[in-house]
Amino acid sequence: MHRILVAAFSLVFLALAAPARADEANVHVELLSEQARIAPGQTFTVALKQTIKPEWHTYWANPGDSGTATAVEWKLPPGMKAGEIQWPAPGRIPYGPLVNYGYDNEAVLLINLTAPADAQPGSTVPVQGDVELLVCKDICIPEDATVSLNLPVGATPQPDAGAAKLFADARARLPSKSPFAARVESKGSAIRVALDTGDARQLRDLVFFPTQPERIDNAAPQKVSTTASGVTLELKRAEGAKQDDAALEGVLTFRDESTGKDSPLRAIQFTAQPGTVAAPAGAAAGGERSLGLGEALLFALLGGLILNLMPCVFPVLSMKALSLARGAHGDAAHRRADALAYTAGVLAMFTIIAVALLALRAGGAEIGWGFQLQSPLVVTALAYLLFAVGLVLSGVVSVGERFAGMGSSLAARGGLAGSFFTGALATIVATPCTAPFMAGALGFALVQPAPIALVVFEALGLGLALPYLLLGFAPALARALPKPGAWMERFRQFLAFPVYATVVWLVFVLQAQAGPFAATSVLAGLVLIGFAAWAWDAARFASVRGRAIGATAAIVAIVGALLLVRSVDDEAVAAPSAATAQSSDAVNWQSFSQARLDSLLAEGKPVFIDFTAAWCITCKVNETVALTPEVARTMESKGVVALRGDWTKRDAEITRVLQAHGRAGVPLYLYYKAGAREPQVLPQILTSDSVRSAMEEG
Amino acid sequence: MRSLILAGLSVLAFAGAPHAQAQSFGQGVAVGAPAPSFTATDVNGKPVNLADYKGKTVVLEWTNNGCPFVRANYDSGAMQKTQAAAKAQNVVWLTILSSAPGQQGYLTADQAKADIAKEKASPAAYLLDPDGKVGKSYGAKTTPHMFVITPEQKIAYMGAIDDKASAKAADHTTSKNYVTTALQNLAAGKAPDPASTTPYGCSVKYPGQS
Repeated sequence: MHRILVAAFSLVFLALAAPARADEANVHVELLSEQARIAPGQTFTVALKQTIKPEWHTYWANPGDSGTATAVEWKLPPGMKAGEIQWPAPGRIPYGPLVNYGYDNEAVLLINLTAPADAQPGSTVPVQGDVELLVCKDICIPEDATVSLNLPVGATPQPDAGAAKLFADARARLPSKSPFAARVESKGSAIRVALDTGDARQLRDLVFFPTQPERIDNAAPQKVSTTASGVTLELKRAEGAKQDDAALEGVLTFRDESTGKDSPLRAIQFTAQPGTVAAPAGAAAGGERSLGLGEALLFALLGGLILNLMPCVFPVLSMKALSLARGAHGDAAHRRADALAYTAGVLAMFTIIAVALLALRAGGAEIGWGFQLQSPLVVTALAYLLFAVGLVLSGVVSVGERFAGMGSSLAARGGLAGSFFTGALATIVATPCTAPFMAGALGFALVQPAPIALVVFEALGLGLALPYLLLGFAPALARALPKPGAWMERFRQFLAFPVYATVVWLVFVLQAQAGPFAATSVLAGLVLIGFAAWAWDAARFASVRGRAIGATAAIVAIVGALLLVRSVDDEAVAAPSAATAQSSDAVNWQSFSQARLDSLLAEGKPVFIDFTAAWCITCKVNETVALTPEVARTMESKGVVALRGDWTKRDAEITRVLQAHGRAGVPLYLYYKAGAREPQVLPQILTSDSVRSAMEEG
Repeated sequence: MRSLILAGLSVLAFAGAPHAQAQSFGQGVAVGAPAPSFTATDVNGKPVNLADYKGKTVVLEWTNNGCPFVRANYDSGAMQKTQAAAKAQNVVWLTILSSAPGQQGYLTADQAKADIAKEKASPAAYLLDPDGKVGKSYGAKTTPHMFVITPEQKIAYMGAIDDKASAKAADHTTSKNYVTTALQNLAAGKAPDPASTTPYGCSVKYPGQS
């Protein structure tokens, strides 16, 4: 009823065409100067203060779905100039299915004026503004007001102390220019914006306001994610708006709880440049390429299963198969316990890696799968460990009764612990291999909340443990294994060679990461480990004194090997790493950076990008098999620019690109056709044909 | 297991929620896209179906005679002039009122008839959409919000009536009228330029808001 009365009243009001006088209106407008006295030529600030009746509102520069921004027409003496209106950060005003941007209660718009240079001290300068504004509640009323000031001129300016607080408060509400890099990317009907603010986890109540109209759907909910590295927003494109990759300009308002619980609303203004933006956490399921949890679990399981066949896991697994072939003659209960212990070892190690990874991410590190191998120290430790494993397989040293152990309850217990650690070891050496199917699942896991991420990791572990688990629980399968015999000794010795090959590869990775000196030190360390193994074994059947000497020599050698690790500087930034500089150089690679990519795309050039790492075997195989001289010639003839992103050591920029494509690790191959903004993602098992056909189509 | 199901459900909820919201308001309305079909009752109680006008150019005008921006366009005579010109070109002009009962601009059929006479307006039909169904299917945001539809019933133009987002009558006598331009472009066998502008005015007074 009240509303109808107001409506009726305002209609009568309009019908009479009475000029709205500011004092009777819904908005009271005042003009105030920060300076009590101005100097000739001085630029100073005035405030247009709107006092708005409760429940009514006026509009921001972009009013949103309806409404009109306040406008001022200045009537100034000659030589005087007025700047643009400086708008305070607005609020969202929902209205049925619409959302407007504006102010309630009070809005203070600041404007810079420049006094005439020839103003005479002692005179006054008249300033007049005709203000037109639209004020709305459930109905809208256009209101006019004329505001004026007479400003005394002096030789020197003098601020108005009484106005200081008003101006200070008004400036606090102006959005400040954002110092952070911002990117925008169109994805289907979504517009994603990322701001590299650093740790944003204490930010609350984030709302984005577009400066340009008709870019985003004003009323659509805004998906916001705040992480240790910044803010990601997912907005909806305005219905009917073109899908383009134009820069997006706007204001972000938020509260920063790191400065206290009742921190004031703050605002920054920024322009997001076209780039790649990962889906905000929790929003991944909405994206087109992302997986659902069910699919992610299935792919994780499959990926884990395939890991068993990868070159880095196979030797360890073969060791297990050997012990199983013996164990097959033990009793069923023992076999089951053994399989369970192995599975537990795998799962435990996956949990440790997952927790470490999630914790590091939460701490702000931009990392992905395989991150362990980005640390030279971890690579060194793995090289030592695998070399020792190789020595055991070769028979240089025998470790207890693990390979001979049968039957007795003591050995059974030792066997269980052994199985547990074999599982853990298999997992560690599996990390450099990203099996097909695994990439999508891990990419999914890493943008999920921790519990879901852990579930996906465990599925991966289960996949890795599955073959052995099945053997343990299905006696029929176990019986199909060949009978033990003398061949087993030889087979075991043979298996040492893939392990040594893995060590060679680890040293290659280390050399790429930490340089030739570190690699040479570690090679010396390997010699010492070999000596320790020999000394230990040689002394086993010697006298007590002999054993003591052997043990001492072994321990001294191992300590020496560990000391050599000190020359491996964990933070060393090796010169251009091997992945970039040396391998398969049929192709004329340039090194990847987002800026380089953006400028190439802006030129409309076709671009092929290879994201790789020295420790990534799949990457190396792909590069050798698929990126042949022939492919290189095709690239050259088509003018394709080849970029290579080297992830051997941590690189936040590359991590972001991987995430944007739902990946947690390398390899990733992207091809941008000439003039295209969206890349084509090439298969993870790369062939010359797939690369060539992508380029032919382009 | 239970937490797994919960996690699965919440993922589904994430995926589902924004889509459900978007479906109801102006979904898929874009220049070049098919115009959403509708049937609405006109002030004479006659059902009007958009499909009846296949083969003719159609203009949709969202109105609210209490809105100062609509008032300015009628008080200046600009809207009536645009309607008359359209009629002369054999273009079908449909004025649509989506104000809900109790909201600004709501009219009964008889009141609307009286309003047409008073304004000397000449729409082919004046449609009543008090539940806002037609308005929401087009994503009509403001009054006046205009749509021009081709004889093939595709959207050719959407947005403001003219380039003066003003509630002053005088501004609309000198403004550049986008609907007139769009109709001229279509008559000449060209695509309207501009094909899309930002609509201005009061928000459409849909039901269920205060």
